[in-house]
Amino acid sequence: MVQPFPDDFKPVLETDFQIFLFENHFKTVFPEIFCLFASVLLLIYGVLYARIHQANADTLRRKMKIFPPIMVNHVSLLVILAFLLTLILMFNNPIMHATIFYNTLVCDDLIFFCKILIICSALLSVCISLDYVRKQALNAFEYIILLLLATCSMLFLISSADMISMYLAIELQSLCFYVLAAFKRNSEFSTEAGLKYFVLGAFSSGVLLFGCSLIYGFTGITNFSELTKIFSCTGENQHFTGALIGMIFVAVGFLFKITAVPFHTWAPDVYEGSPTSVTAFFAITPKIAILGLFVRLFESSFYDLNTEAAFSLQLGTTQGVSTTFNKLLSMEFTSTLPWQKIFLFCSIASMIVGALGAMNQKKIKRLLAYSSIGHVGYFLIGLCCGTVEGIQALLINLIIYLVMTINIFAIILSPVRRDFVHSVQRIKYISDLSVLFKTNPILAITLAVNFFSMAGLPPLAGFWGKYYLLFSAFSCELYLVAIVGGLATVLSCVYYIRLVHISYFEKIQNRLIFERVPKINGWILAITFFFILFLFVSPGATRRSTSITRSLLQRIEIRDHITDRHA
Amino acid sequence: MSILVSIIFIPIIGALILFFVPNWKTQLIKNIALNVSCLNFLMSLLLWIYFDHSTAKFQFSQTIYSESLSFTIAIDGISLFFIILTTFLVPVCILVGWKTISNYVKEYCIAFLILETLMIAVFCMLDLLLFYVFFESVLIPMFIIIGVWGSRERKIRAAYQFFIYTLFGSIIMLLGILIIYLQTGTTDYQILYTTEFSEKRQIIIWATFFASFAVKVPMIPVHIWLPEAHVEAPTAGSVILAGILLKLGTYGFLRFSIPLFPYASMYFTPLLYTMSIIAIIYTSFTTIRQVDLKKIIAYSSVAHMNIVIIGLFSMNSIGIEGSIMLMLSHGIVSPALFLCVGVLYDRYKTRLCRYYGGCVHTMPIFCILFCLFTMANIALPLTANFVGELLVFQGVFCNNTLVAFLSATSMICSGGYSLLAYGRVAYGSCKPYYIRSFSDLSRREFFMFIPFVVVTLWLGVTPQCFLDAMHCSVANILNI
Repeated sequence: MVQPFPDDFKPVLETDFQIFLFENHFKTVFPEIFCLFASVLLLIYGVLYARIHQANADTLRRKMKIFPPIMVNHVSLLVILAFLLTLILMFNNPIMHATIFYNTLVCDDLIFFCKILIICSALLSVCISLDYVRKQALNAFEYIILLLLATCSMLFLISSADMISMYLAIELQSLCFYVLAAFKRNSEFSTEAGLKYFVLGAFSSGVLLFGCSLIYGFTGITNFSELTKIFSCTGENQHFTGALIGMIFVAVGFLFKITAVPFHTWAPDVYEGSPTSVTAFFAITPKIAILGLFVRLFESSFYDLNTEAAFSLQLGTTQGVSTTFNKLLSMEFTSTLPWQKIFLFCSIASMIVGALGAMNQKKIKRLLAYSSIGHVGYFLIGLCCGTVEGIQALLINLIIYLVMTINIFAIILSPVRRDFVHSVQRIKYISDLSVLFKTNPILAITLAVNFFSMAGLPPLAGFWGKYYLLFSAFSCELYLVAIVGGLATVLSCVYYIRLVHISYFEKIQNRLIFERVPKINGWILAITFFFILFLFVSPGATRRSTSITRSLLQRIEIRDHITDRHA
Repeated sequence: MSILVSIIFIPIIGALILFFVPNWKTQLIKNIALNVSCLNFLMSLLLWIYFDHSTAKFQFSQTIYSESLSFTIAIDGISLFFIILTTFLVPVCILVGWKTISNYVKEYCIAFLILETLMIAVFCMLDLLLFYVFFESVLIPMFIIIGVWGSRERKIRAAYQFFIYTLFGSIIMLLGILIIYLQTGTTDYQILYTTEFSEKRQIIIWATFFASFAVKVPMIPVHIWLPEAHVEAPTAGSVILAGILLKLGTYGFLRFSIPLFPYASMYFTPLLYTMSIIAIIYTSFTTIRQVDLKKIIAYSSVAHMNIVIIGLFSMNSIGIEGSIMLMLSHGIVSPALFLCVGVLYDRYKTRLCRYYGGCVHTMPIFCILFCLFTMANIALPLTANFVGELLVFQGVFCNNTLVAFLSATSMICSGGYSLLAYGRVAYGSCKPYYIRSFSDLSRREFFMFIPFVVVTLWLGVTPQCFLDAMHCSVANILNI
């Protein structure tokens, strides 16, 4: 149902012309359409002009022994432009709340917020990797267009209101990702990463599709809002066992994609193998999209899917555990809804595995992979609260995580010269950081502040994120997860301060020279650094910006209203 | 702008100025840092001058309202002296590194100025959450100070221990704060002060707070980090650790645990008494065995801080005032002793007792000062510690004579280890190893010590002017 125009909106054309049936629908998704068209047009542009440049490049190569990157610069700049235009279009979209295309796509404040986050993260990760792409001889403009296409598919993913559109969007996104992971064709790590990602990704997509079909088979519905209605209106003794299993499959499929434990095993390999610019993109953007989707899927559609008989984790009966802990466990796992149980388990496991796994890593990208697994654990706390505070905390954390990750990758993507190696390199091992404080103290302090923030030390940004999360967990009586979250912070601190220790206290192990940090990386570093450092001046700013969860509150209220009426 | 706000911001402004001074102008950097911190000390004396002794109200209060964050900063008779102590110690820290710190001078000064701001903010913050925030954020500069300017390779381990121990306790405290916030919906101290918590909840929250403060004090099972951190930190780091950071724990007990959870405090008093007495006796005996001069002072700090705990939980105004006095005097005497060890270390590059001997022949002025501070550490009458310990014992004697008796053994033990250490360094035959390279105190060092001498004697001779300012606040905390 299309909402009428807001009050201050006046149609420009007031002549009597035929209104196209889906006109408002197209207006709603105009930014996405623009994004899609931009990617296609840029592809055409690239294909047409690459040949001309290729010819030039050949002559250059032959005559002057110069190896110019082909088309990458142009297309990257154009893609950045496209992102910016999409942002502008999104902010100026006249229709903010709508359900369109026969309940296939939906648009509201939460979705709008997530979309903005996604575009920002994609934009920033393209910006910080400009220099990398140029110097690392990833001589293919398709790379950057694939990023654009993946972002576009994530925009669709987050606004999808139907199982089918959801599946289509996530497949498009995954296909782009497989190619991106394997993009550095002359590196066996990258190929391996691509292959691993493809096999496991295809498997998880299969699981997801299976879950969707189970839900469809048992309820006859693929639409999210219809699912909400049907689950909230069931009586006491009606159990959707099949749908429950379907929901579990859907959850597992998605948990694969956001690298939650126990579905995380591919993450370190893929993060390490793929080109660093792609890793930066992987680390942030899909998580925002899928967690945004989770909020709508589990906080509203599957929220009332409740069958105690079919699936209840009675962990509390283990013998030899002290009674208080026993009580805590049983309270945690019996009083919660089925979907909450899944996420509770994954959240606790992710936090612990993320912290423990990162302790003994030697390569920085693997370490960051584990760190992001840990962060996913924290995000899932916000999700499994099932309250508005929880979602708000989740969104706040996403913002802060976005900023911190962009910051760290901007440092990793800055060029470095290594002894005995001719070409420009990047920081690869964590022992490379040992030169940082001696040669580039400003980068070192940025890195240290960022790591302290990731570890959740006050007064830096990461602390406020964790504070809101723990608070929301406490307020809905998820004590166990809150306590584990607190202790996992201490555990994760061990390896974060190990990085600080390497960059500050250790003798130089690897002889590296930092080249000039690219200008755009410098700007982004400066901005994100100040955000991390000075968020405590007004921690509520993030809170205000995520107050859009109000709209979700209304939806929950409506659902409760329906439930009350039928009970 | 109120004095308090300017005291908080002066060091930060100093650090900002330093940020734009080029690295190689080390003399200029040191001068700026010293002047800024001295200016801040003078400003903090203004606090004392304008302080109204006759009220328990929070003074110099400055409330910051904004949509997202509103809090009050203010001081009462308790936090007043801690702020002055902080501003007193920071110039000394910069002065002590004047010659010895040769690399990263700018970073050194910036770290100490930022640390100063954070510590002052801890003492004047009347918001539980922000107290926690600043309480924790002290870790970051301190971690870097120990790790970068520490003396040996073992410093890494020390920095780790310091960090992880403290963080572990603090995270548990954060959970306690969240419980409070869930009940009351605010973390403002003055509102919490009027809030009643149920007994069961008091016990839980008190225990979470205890986890954090006990690490900072440090109480007995979690005191391992302290000797390590003290030994490995640079002299200035030890000064701040002994002078201020240890007081954060006891200050937290005094400011939050006792007034907010009186029932739980009573409930846990026997536990605290037991732990503290074990700590006092155990660490005193441990101290006697130590051969590292810094470790001797570090362990004796543990003993003294546990006497402070006993005084706090005697739950009468004499005991509490005594422990505040003891905190202050320990905050003067213990840093002074660390400075003495620093002076020795700068000359001989070792801290082990057996390399020293007969210093009284080669460094007479130094030995006089060292003797004075050793005597103060033993709590000789007319020195600072005596007043505090006497009041503590008197206070706890009203409450529990056995505890008073056992804790008073610390005076004998401290006599044992302090005199032993002093005797090993100052007396005996001159050790021939370094006889050619001796030198007595330089002018800088002498002027560094003079304020400590003055304050030690001042606290010991006329403690009344300190006690006057804290009567009302202490009575207020005890709800008398």
